[in-house]
Amino acid sequence: MKLMRAVSVLVGFGLLVLSIGSGGAAAQTAAPAPVKIGSSLIGKLEGPTIITDAKTFPTSFKEAPMLAEQVKAGKLPAVDKRLPEPSQLFVVKPLNEIGKYGGNWRRAFTGPADHENGNRINSADKILTFDYTGTKIIPSLARDWKVSDDGKTTTIYLRKGARWSDGTPFTANDFVFWYEDIYLNKNIVPTPFFEFQIDGKDGKIRKIDDYTVAFEFPEPYAFFVYQLAGSTGIGAGFATRGAFQNWGGAYAPAHYLKQFLPKYSSEEAANKKAKDLGFDSWVSLLRNRYSWALNPELPVMTPWRTVSPINTPTWSMERNPYFWGVDTAGNQLPYIDRITMTLAENAEVANLRAIAGEYDIQERHMHLSKLPVFLENAKKGNYTVHLDPGLNGADAAIHIGNSYEGDPEIAKLLRNKDFRHALALGIDRDQLNEAFWLGVGSPGSVAPAPDTIYSPGPEWNKKWGVLDLKQANELLDKVGLSKKDSDGYRLRSDGKGRLRLEMVTVGGQFVPYTQIGEMVKQQWKKIGIDVDIKELERNLAFTRDENNQNQMITWANDGSEVLFLFPRHALPVDAAESHMGMAYAKWYASKGASGKKPEDPEMLRAFDLFRASFGAKEDDRVKNAKEIWKIIVEQTWSIGTVGQSPAFMGVRLVKNNMGNVPDRQVNAQHARTPYTSMPITFYFK
Amino acid sequence: MLAYIVRRLLLAVLTVWAISVLSFIIIHLPPGDYVTSYIASMSASGSAVSEGEAKALREQLGLDKPITIQYMKWMGLMLQGNFGMAMEWGRPVTDVIGDRLTLTVVISLAAIVFTWALALPIGIYSAVYRYSFLDYLFTFVGFVGLAIPGFLLALIVMYVGFAWFGANVGGLFSPEFAEAPWSFAKAWDLTKHLPIPAIVLGVAGTAQLIRIMRSNLLDELRKPYVVTARARGLPEYRVIMKYPVRVALNPFISTIGYLLPYVVSGSIIVSLVLSLPTVGPLLLKALIAQDMFLAGTIVLLLGVLTVVGTFLSDLLLMWVDPRIRLGRE
Amino acid sequence: MAELAAPPEAGIQAEQRIAVATQWQLMWWRFRKHKLALAGTLVLIGFYLVAVFAEFLAYVDPQESDAQRSLIAPQSIHWSDDGRFAPYVYGLKGTRDPVTFKRVYVPDTSKKVPITFFGRGEHYQFLGLIPMDRHLFAVEDAKVAESLFLMGTDTQGRDLWSRLMYATRTSMTIGLVSVALSLVLGVVLGGISGYFGGVIDTIIQRIIEILRSIPTIPLWMGLAAALPGDWSVVQVYFAITIIISLIGWTELARVVRGRFISLKEEDFVMAAELVGCSKARIIFRHMVPSFISHIIAATTLAIPAIIISETSLSFLGLGLRPPAISWGVLLQDAQNIQALVISPWLLIPSFAVIVAVLAFNFMGDGIRDAADPYL
Repeated sequence: MKLMRAVSVLVGFGLLVLSIGSGGAAAQTAAPAPVKIGSSLIGKLEGPTIITDAKTFPTSFKEAPMLAEQVKAGKLPAVDKRLPEPSQLFVVKPLNEIGKYGGNWRRAFTGPADHENGNRINSADKILTFDYTGTKIIPSLARDWKVSDDGKTTTIYLRKGARWSDGTPFTANDFVFWYEDIYLNKNIVPTPFFEFQIDGKDGKIRKIDDYTVAFEFPEPYAFFVYQLAGSTGIGAGFATRGAFQNWGGAYAPAHYLKQFLPKYSSEEAANKKAKDLGFDSWVSLLRNRYSWALNPELPVMTPWRTVSPINTPTWSMERNPYFWGVDTAGNQLPYIDRITMTLAENAEVANLRAIAGEYDIQERHMHLSKLPVFLENAKKGNYTVHLDPGLNGADAAIHIGNSYEGDPEIAKLLRNKDFRHALALGIDRDQLNEAFWLGVGSPGSVAPAPDTIYSPGPEWNKKWGVLDLKQANELLDKVGLSKKDSDGYRLRSDGKGRLRLEMVTVGGQFVPYTQIGEMVKQQWKKIGIDVDIKELERNLAFTRDENNQNQMITWANDGSEVLFLFPRHALPVDAAESHMGMAYAKWYASKGASGKKPEDPEMLRAFDLFRASFGAKEDDRVKNAKEIWKIIVEQTWSIGTVGQSPAFMGVRLVKNNMGNVPDRQVNAQHARTPYTSMPITFYFK
Repeated sequence: MLAYIVRRLLLAVLTVWAISVLSFIIIHLPPGDYVTSYIASMSASGSAVSEGEAKALREQLGLDKPITIQYMKWMGLMLQGNFGMAMEWGRPVTDVIGDRLTLTVVISLAAIVFTWALALPIGIYSAVYRYSFLDYLFTFVGFVGLAIPGFLLALIVMYVGFAWFGANVGGLFSPEFAEAPWSFAKAWDLTKHLPIPAIVLGVAGTAQLIRIMRSNLLDELRKPYVVTARARGLPEYRVIMKYPVRVALNPFISTIGYLLPYVVSGSIIVSLVLSLPTVGPLLLKALIAQDMFLAGTIVLLLGVLTVVGTFLSDLLLMWVDPRIRLGRE
Repeated sequence: MAELAAPPEAGIQAEQRIAVATQWQLMWWRFRKHKLALAGTLVLIGFYLVAVFAEFLAYVDPQESDAQRSLIAPQSIHWSDDGRFAPYVYGLKGTRDPVTFKRVYVPDTSKKVPITFFGRGEHYQFLGLIPMDRHLFAVEDAKVAESLFLMGTDTQGRDLWSRLMYATRTSMTIGLVSVALSLVLGVVLGGISGYFGGVIDTIIQRIIEILRSIPTIPLWMGLAAALPGDWSVVQVYFAITIIISLIGWTELARVVRGRFISLKEEDFVMAAELVGCSKARIIFRHMVPSFISHIIAATTLAIPAIIISETSLSFLGLGLRPPAISWGVLLQDAQNIQALVISPWLLIPSFAVIVAVLAFNFMGDGIRDAADPYL
């Protein structure tokens, strides 16, 4: 009797669970809803254009109603007093049409560490930027630039009449201040920025006149202009990696920050001021006040400024009344008044809220694996799903620990090119693509997308990046692993039994690395390789990388498509983060002073080409990059699986009432996605 | 009596100190530190941290010093009332925790009230009408609540709420009230959002309580004084409620103290799934980020509350149960 | 009370049996009457049988993946083929719908896949010793999408039923050592504390307090990261459960201590002391048996807590992780929106958890009721 009750309650619960699912099944058989779904989820790459011919600039200007009110109340000067001089404006031709003012852009963020969420939208304050294709450099904060013939000097021209968000004029003095008082102060910036050096020698900033600044280097550094346009510390602006720890440059609001520096008061006074506010030194206080996301009082040059900081449950931003850009009709940008980000403690909640239509444009934290659910609810939530494929070769790359030392036999094998090739050929990438990327990705090697500037050619995406069990088995036999045990796994050549590799993965990221590892483990059975998949906590995995303890680690290789701006996922050259040989990275970064020199002559060749490219001319640099990629793919220091996919911040949900939002946008690090689509031109219809 | 209390207080201080050392050690057990965590989290979201920056940050936060010095520094700060700066948040630890404390307490209390309000009457009914149909039904439903993993239940309830009722997904406030100042409308909004967390959090505890209440009351109901009361003509309701129930509640009073740390931390897992802005997820994120000050302070806080709670429980028990009080003298 | 009253006809005989029955026999007779507890016990025996016979009950390798089988819903079995009892399922043709991006499977009625009972399948080692290849039911020569999927498949195309069998084994056994250790520590330390009192009592009580104040999740995180990197996932988990049990004994110790304090005053203890029994004999031969039933009940009720905590920790990424297979690991795959909406069969392992926890609770309740001499 009582058992019957038990059973009925259980059945009831089961019915509840199944009915949730059948809701989904029912929708599957219903008629397709009139929303944009299917293979046309990847649209045409499009975006706004920057008008540079001053003769066509607008001459009369309008402003947002919320600002007009303040002007009437006497709190703000009139719009033409707030904008730079008419010939100096940043003029944008919106993608589709002139927009309307107003609205609150709702988004999700996951906590104070998620400052990139807002940074990228706001990246207008970079000195230079890229166009909507992510390939051409265009002006941003600076009006124009010039690289000297010898490549040693890059000069930028500022916009006359531009002002900080509190109305103070923005001039070259702000660059000088940053350079002399912040960058050169060893208490604040102990080591020079890598991108502000050429061949280890420091660059200098010199004021030419109030609106002209020169970056001077002792040697040719033609690549520097890319550093100003990309996602680097020197071209930063406050909304690029500057949210919390980075002393983003190359300018800073002198009039505001002086109060925190001992140079303008005294060491004791500055420290006392810090201690009164709960910080242990003036450097900590400065660091806190330097962050646009944490400090609403910081004057900025971005289109929106923080009103409620990022370390509260809502990070909200409001328009900057002094923003220096207009559209072709003379309307001061941006169109959207506010951006409000609400805290989602975990990604499931963020995704569920997106499905409910609570966000206006959201691409961050949206999972590709939920694509069917997004599509199902698109009509109800009144949004459209766009897929923006990335440009990097592999969302999940198996980085080989080339400097691993722990087990001599395995270390020897890992350094053997044939062994790496065999592992690469043993992976069935179509399977991985189907299971984890819903078939949307491109299987292949780690080489970037064929239409990117540094791609060595489409055949390199397939090289060592296909399934070839026969060749893989042959290579492994050749390497000395021809003996197998009773289960079919290859034995070590040193007689210590079965060869067991170890692959480190990290759980809970955008891409399911551990599950991918599990599938690869099953696939490598067919070539007789046994591998232990170890899911570690992220910090632990990174610490082991630092100590060269990982044999293999599966991680992303995003950013690698712009090899010189973001090399760390392609080559072991960055001593802060390197997954394919930290010891080598240290050697490269310290120019031989620490770390270990690679034995592989090809790696040394890649290093030399890499180092030489920063001072080289554009054509040589592109040639070098292609050659470096050929080396990387041929040596297979990282094994690619599936890439060029929207898995990494490429699933974009856009509410149907948003205007000027492109069908497809560049999904790349250097483009500060979504900045190159110019969110300042997005508007609510 | 007084000597006993003083002695307990001194021991409590000692215990708290031991807990502080232990919490510090636990937080430092994982290799790496906050900067490693920062680099890793930046990398995972498509950004990067330069080597120079990492080094500067380590120096600035004192992470390059040996662990004993870091502990001394932390203790020193704490004794001055300064709990340090939460590294990830850039705000004083007291602010960060304080923000969430009120809401955590509200939710935990709601869950506790829900649990007790449901469990105690059911427990009493079950004891009085033992082996009846409803007894089995309640017991059963209570147990099912105990058996379902909380995080799964939370996700299902959240999704069902959204799909069938169009309810706001997770969180405690509707978006429009999130940053608005407190008002009646906001308080009402909060009340509307409370049922889901309260139910999910409370459901597991209900079964336990029902069972304990039931068996305690059963113990009491057999006793001769109950028979006497009945024989003397007291209405059945008073026979049960006036004495046995009160005695049966004794053990609960002693467990009130243990609720104290729970009230403050809330449930980590369920809060995470439901995206409740409480101390639980804060602790988890602080641990993952190896934010020494924030995690250390919360762990220490929970430890202290446990000690305080135990102490309070013992005091309460002494007060309520004269046998213990008299036994000591 | 009423339960032990036997009907008059068998009255004297029953009473005689009761009089000479041992404590355990009495417990068993009372336990038998508690129907729910019996049901729970039977269920648990079933679960442990599954744990022992996992390979026999599973019909494919639980780790074998194939994306062409990704997210297949549980199949319906056709029981008779042309009037004979010959269960079979249809082969499936799977594609990804380009519009909805879901995997769609169409049964191919031309391909009948017969299910054989006690058929041949994956080779395995029964109890790690006897090589066998027979399974309860199997599909001989199964091909990728032409096989049995009783409970469907997961995202990687792995058969959920087979995985569930192995998961049951892991989840039902992994907590036992920890509980046993807690039991021993709790009884010993609680007993010492209660029996000897005084300074020893105070010290042990303070230690208990300190240990109880440490929140488990930070401890778990710290330990998980601090253990040697080359240990397997299961080894790490095992080590951690042992460490956790070094903290978990406190609850039991308090109960035992309380019992000892009250039992100390009992007459039979005094009598034993007067007769000259050694302390150890008094404790273990006389005092402990008085409350051992409560200990057993408490222990039995502690196991479900371990099962639930294993699933919770897996959720946080701290407990057992892939490639280990446990209920917690299986539920990790189910803990997301797309599982709820599109592939709800991934939630079936939660039933296993619920039933196991319920069964333990009922059984524990039954033991406690049966052991309590006063009820």
